[in-house]
Amino acid sequence: MAESNLIGQDIVSRDLVAKITGRAKYAEDYRAEGMLFTKLLLSPLPHARVVSIDLSAALAHPGVIAILTADEVPQDEFPFEPCLTNEPRYEGEPILAVAAVDEMTAADAIELIRIEFEPLPFAIDPLDSLRPGGPNATLMGNAYLGREVGEVKWEQSVFDAAGPDGMPMGPTEDEWEFGEGGVEAGFAKADVIVEEVIYSHSATHHPLESRTAMSYWQNGKLYIHCSVQSVAQSRRAIADRLGMPFEDVVFVSEFCGGGFGSKIRGSVTEIIPSLLSKKAGGRPVMMRVTRNEETAFGRARPGMQGWVKMGFRRDGRMTAMDLYLVQDTGSYARQGDTSTAADCASLIYTPETMRFRTVTVLTNTPPRAAQRGPGGAQGVPMLEPVVDRAARQLGMDRLEIRRVNGPTAATRFGRGNTQLTSCYAPEALSRGAEMFNWSERSARSGQRNGSKVTGVGLAFSTYYGGTSGWDGLLVIRPDGKLYIHQGVGNLGTHAVMDTARAAADVLGSDWEDCEVVWGSSSLHLPHSSTSSGSQTTHAHTRANHAVGMAMYGLLQELASLELGGSPSSYAVGNGRVYRIGSPGSGLTFAQAAQRAITRGGKFSGAVLPDDINEMTRNSATALAGQGLIAAAKDTYPHTARTYSFVATFAEVEVDVETGMHRVVEVTTVADCGTVVHPRSLAAQANAGVIQGMGFARSHKWSIDPTWGVHLTKRLEAAKPPTILDGPTQYHFAAVDLPDPQNPVGAKGIGEPPVGAGSGALLCAIEDALGGLYGSHTPMSPDKVLSIYENEGRVASGRLAIHV
Amino acid sequence: METLDLRSQAERSFTRRTFIKGVIAAGAVVSSSAYLFRTNGSSASAQAPGSVERLITLRVNGQERRVDVLKQETLATTLRYKLGLTGTKIGCDRGDCGACTVLVGGVPTYACSLLTHQVRGREVTTIEGLANGDQLHPVQQAVYDEGGFQCAFCAPGFIMSMVGFLQQNPSPTIDEMASGISGNICRCADYPKILKSAMRAAENMRTV
Amino acid sequence: MAIVHDVMPAYELFQPTDVESAITLLREHGDGARILGGGMDTWDWLKDRNKRITALVDLGGIPGLQDIKVTADGIEIGAMVPLSVVARNADVVNSYTVLARAAGRVASPQIRNQGTIGGNVNQDVRCWYYRSGWPCYRAGGNICYANTPQSLNREHAILDANRCVAVSPSDTAPALVALDAKMIVQTRRGVREINAADYFLGPATDIRRTTVLKHGEVLTSIRIPKTWSGAQFYFEKVADRKSWDFPLVNVASAIRMEGGSIADARIVVGAVAARPMRLRKVEDAIRGKAADEATAAVAGELAVRGAVPLRLNGYKVPLMRNLVKRAIRGQEA
Repeated sequence: MAESNLIGQDIVSRDLVAKITGRAKYAEDYRAEGMLFTKLLLSPLPHARVVSIDLSAALAHPGVIAILTADEVPQDEFPFEPCLTNEPRYEGEPILAVAAVDEMTAADAIELIRIEFEPLPFAIDPLDSLRPGGPNATLMGNAYLGREVGEVKWEQSVFDAAGPDGMPMGPTEDEWEFGEGGVEAGFAKADVIVEEVIYSHSATHHPLESRTAMSYWQNGKLYIHCSVQSVAQSRRAIADRLGMPFEDVVFVSEFCGGGFGSKIRGSVTEIIPSLLSKKAGGRPVMMRVTRNEETAFGRARPGMQGWVKMGFRRDGRMTAMDLYLVQDTGSYARQGDTSTAADCASLIYTPETMRFRTVTVLTNTPPRAAQRGPGGAQGVPMLEPVVDRAARQLGMDRLEIRRVNGPTAATRFGRGNTQLTSCYAPEALSRGAEMFNWSERSARSGQRNGSKVTGVGLAFSTYYGGTSGWDGLLVIRPDGKLYIHQGVGNLGTHAVMDTARAAADVLGSDWEDCEVVWGSSSLHLPHSSTSSGSQTTHAHTRANHAVGMAMYGLLQELASLELGGSPSSYAVGNGRVYRIGSPGSGLTFAQAAQRAITRGGKFSGAVLPDDINEMTRNSATALAGQGLIAAAKDTYPHTARTYSFVATFAEVEVDVETGMHRVVEVTTVADCGTVVHPRSLAAQANAGVIQGMGFARSHKWSIDPTWGVHLTKRLEAAKPPTILDGPTQYHFAAVDLPDPQNPVGAKGIGEPPVGAGSGALLCAIEDALGGLYGSHTPMSPDKVLSIYENEGRVASGRLAIHV
Repeated sequence: METLDLRSQAERSFTRRTFIKGVIAAGAVVSSSAYLFRTNGSSASAQAPGSVERLITLRVNGQERRVDVLKQETLATTLRYKLGLTGTKIGCDRGDCGACTVLVGGVPTYACSLLTHQVRGREVTTIEGLANGDQLHPVQQAVYDEGGFQCAFCAPGFIMSMVGFLQQNPSPTIDEMASGISGNICRCADYPKILKSAMRAAENMRTV
Repeated sequence: MAIVHDVMPAYELFQPTDVESAITLLREHGDGARILGGGMDTWDWLKDRNKRITALVDLGGIPGLQDIKVTADGIEIGAMVPLSVVARNADVVNSYTVLARAAGRVASPQIRNQGTIGGNVNQDVRCWYYRSGWPCYRAGGNICYANTPQSLNREHAILDANRCVAVSPSDTAPALVALDAKMIVQTRRGVREINAADYFLGPATDIRRTTVLKHGEVLTSIRIPKTWSGAQFYFEKVADRKSWDFPLVNVASAIRMEGGSIADARIVVGAVAARPMRLRKVEDAIRGKAADEATAAVAGELAVRGAVPLRLNGYKVPLMRNLVKRAIRGQEA
């Protein structure tokens, strides 16, 4: 087999020219003959029932073509989220859609609709909903009990005991505990115990490209152009939502303007133009989703309110962690963020004993979804400042306490006693400390220069690093090129291009002789993972390696049949299959493709492996006869859990007269296995850290508690980070040691930098404030100033939500 | 102490019901637009001083384009929907993100927050107007060489800001560069690489 | 409040070439007419369909409104001069530095290219309840949504509230008041000159307006007298992000030193009240004093006297206090 020559190289993604010249087509860039435009009528109330709708004037408005209401779209049992509803559960939930010749006509028509609502009780803050007699977000109840929704109310005494700034902790729905004797025994062994109220806010994902979609029907097939993180899996999801076979959906999402978890399999609203188009006789319908609408139904990170207690021995070892979290899951599906936060905590601190309790509450706020680093991105910044406090009490270095508790390759962690495929966390911490010059810098902590106080912090974060078992699909065509088909999404991580290198490397192909095929199901894509949860790099280097090996075998076999000798006497490289020892004897890829077409059977895609997914089979079958075709499922062993690790170090200067801070320097080191694309990896890591810092300091949402209405419908109010909110220099390094359960050694990187960034920033600010309360986001200037002026008091209250 | 009085007054006078009534009444507002979208010719007041003709000539990327523009149409809409220049993105439509940045008379401008009628007679440059055939503009080349951007929905706007800023300040410090392009959001937050690309762009521009 | 957003309704657009025609158009179209400066305030209202207009009168085509002229007794800046031009103008930078700094800190580069100095001072308040189209006092209703026990009012007023608790969001307005600028307003009857300090209105005076400008009147230019030219200036804006965001609090000051003590001073704070707050009592108290930490401390305490914080904006009290101290010090720390 050829030496790896593409893994580890900086190769500019081929789609970059399109992106920087304006030629790249995102969903709203497609045009079709006779295209209509749709505007949505969104619920003005956080919870209501539609009593009556009078569409007559709107329908009579010149230029209106069709109006779609909730009665005409799939409606199923809760928590199924319909694309249009007659019982809106949050302000901004779509109620109906008007298709007209242009947007202004559609908007004017909506103003002609007479709609009567019956307001229903609504809940905005989970804790309010848990109070005796508190409002329920749904008519079924206010909290998840397993998969069902029921009513959970706590006794008044629970709230009384907590006091105004304490966390009320009533009975929870989900609870686990591990370690000998449980946390009680763990705390008994502790020399230092710290406890704290912790809080992480909800916030809209706000990809820069909203979830715009355009659809039309032709010859019984649905054509849909939209903005999603994953192509193969979104095609399936859209088909499921419409109750049709995925083969009848032509799904196009060549470029995706960001998702961050909000567009993993697309959104339910994307079927609105499909259904409207059907109603309009197949005419194309463009649904341009505005920022206002993106705020409403574009998904958000679940917030959480909680409490943690940690016990440490004098040597810094964590003997017990007791974590209690109330999750705000919004108006529909149950999110797993609090559980993931607990899992991440059990891995980054490997406590000897741990208890976790959680309850997931429904509120009449936008539906939640995983947001980059789900769970970890909330857990790390909530918990790391508390660990710092323990270190201060122990008189221990804050890096050392993380080293003492952090995982190693031998670690078994959590309630499942889980084993890791690899772990170079100690190396990441050491490398980061060295690059950042931790020992020297941390000595500057608290130094004051006028009103500016130096703070130094670090945070250690983790996340699942990849799945397995997906398919790969390759075609060598008579033009001699290797076509690598990818059903993952093109959301900017470059994974759609970079994971293809695994197949090229197996076959010793020049990158110039490879073409990545992606972005439209009409190009016949394999069953690929979603591009989410840091899984793609791991999953699809494996799948592409597997299919590369399958192609290698086919080339050997084909050469043996064509030229004689055993298959194993042939090798593949540089666009040829050739006899080992006499490289002149062999076939070029172009020749191999021709012979494969002639021979048919397993060479041309006519006969396929049994274990590949139906989607891959259909795609390969559609391609059959066009060249030498290999399809394969990744069946490489995956016997433990794959996790990546990130350590971020930050120095800040907090101005205690204004509450403003300046990030002086940031250093990040990742253990994410072998580096596939160095520049892209550094960009993922640094940008994840910046997103995290942005989340920790300014990016937020605000929902008025009295009226249940969103007030942060503009980016100016939602405040995602700008280019001026961090330093101009970021330092990054990867440990670059291979994971043994990935054929190229790679693990994922997308998620863990977010928690590391937000955690490092909060720890550094807390440090500058002399250890005053820091487990709270967003740590905006007003809060920093309040905490400094009022010795740890947060003006809005430590548990105030949606502020 | 007036504040306290007002608070209680507010509580007394204001109920959820009044709010809801306000909301519902809004749905019944009569449309003020008279569906003049596709009507041709001038409206009643077209002869008034300062009145504006709908059919205008725009100068976009060095070309003159005749186009029928509504009075309330933004430049971003005209570029994207009437001139087929979809490289200019609409990220927020409110001047909060910079994805729609174009140059008007060489100056970086949010095309979402400007009426097309305001740019009559002025040179508009969009992302499509930078490259010379297959030859990338020096700023684009710098971005390419640095492997710039992730999802790149912000890229056209950022690149236009870089071009506009470098015309004004060809030798910026890194802090000046960052300030110069601080009217653009990258939600992927790929700022370090964007800034590196921008500094390289400055070099490229100086050596052209 | 509108039921559908993000599509501007139709209106008639006028692009007059002289101020008189603009005034005539505004009068002809009555309440349905609106002035278009840079548009950075206007588009929100129209795109959200929270304000309906029949005519938009674009001042962009009027010659003269975009000029900066050095005059015998100061400088005159046309109302349609973009903020970025103000921020870069050599005369403004050298002699009226506080205005250049303030203009350079408005929003983002593109907004500074498009937004005008006239628009920056005339812009409506940014209270998110009001701008969501809710029927509040300022919108003609009888409630303030931002001042209830649960309201989200981190950005709102701590001083001079009267039913409405919205604040002046302008960065340049405090600088202009500090410079004792004169606002030149053209009306049907002629030209008025108004002191910047008198130009802005609090809700006690008129809850529906932020300036004395009446419908049919046009701010044509801003004259800055030489009075404070070359004084010791200070401007600082505290905001959540370093780009785009409106001030949580800003401060602009001009101090004239003589023989080591403060001969005279004008100190103005923005975003704490519905209009830029000129701190006359502070100015009086520091006159004749050394610009030292003791004076700064006295000034800071005096500045916030009478502040009434709402639920979430208590931080503005120490923030305003500290910014005033810095203005006296003439530096951050």
